[in-house]
Amino acid sequence: MQVEQVDFVSVPTRDVARAVAFYRDVLGLPESEYLDGEVETPNVTLSFWNPERDGEPFVPIQSGIALRVSDVPAAIDEARAAGAEVVGIEDTGVCHMGFVKDRDGNVLILHRRYAARRRRAES
Amino acid sequence: MGNGIGAERVDFVAVPTEDRDRAEKFYAETLGLQKNPLSTDTWVEFETGNVTLALVEPEKLGIPFAALPFGAIAIRVPDVGEARAKLEEAGIEFEGGVWDSGVCNGAAFTDSEGNGLLLHHRYAPYADGSQP
Repeated sequence: MQVEQVDFVSVPTRDVARAVAFYRDVLGLPESEYLDGEVETPNVTLSFWNPERDGEPFVPIQSGIALRVSDVPAAIDEARAAGAEVVGIEDTGVCHMGFVKDRDGNVLILHRRYAARRRRAES
Repeated sequence: MGNGIGAERVDFVAVPTEDRDRAEKFYAETLGLQKNPLSTDTWVEFETGNVTLALVEPEKLGIPFAALPFGAIAIRVPDVGEARAKLEEAGIEFEGGVWDSGVCNGAAFTDSEGNGLLLHHRYAPYADGSQP
């Protein structure tokens, strides 16, 4: 099977307009030029979908979508000030991860890797 | 408002697993994705061409496993019907047939861990004539 790319990540919400506003205003992601209910990152589209309107149960993403930011602690402070729920922040030894929830409870990981990557044979 | 926290890109989508070896086999052999050679014993990544999928083990961190919801990751393939048929041959069960939204085809299924995935192909150009 030939996989070409990921076209979009579907982010469940109970209120598409509210979700778009959060990702646009708090995270700083532009709305799609083509379709309602989507925001763009440079490498993949985030598409908001209300599953309950299509008879599917609402289940938030709990494992996380990792968004690269320049400074995780500063981004966490800004997200908190904008009303996002901050779950925690970790230093894994190679990156910083700040865990926040959007207005629907989807987990977002504000992420910055600071260590160079090494192939296993070199480490 | 400014640009908020200034998110630069999606570094990865975390894909929860209950059995990471099983999930690795699925993403490598069933979907045919390339495992990132920089993966380690504790951090495994697969590349899709534009965004990384990281196989994570939430229960090892004391977090209950919760699968990605229906159709969470939309995987572009050249032909949804052909890809669906190949996956069915490999024993993958789909939730319904191939749908046609009027601009794209899709077919929903789950990975070895129950995470919601979608085969996807937009065949119609966008309103300005550009291609997906």
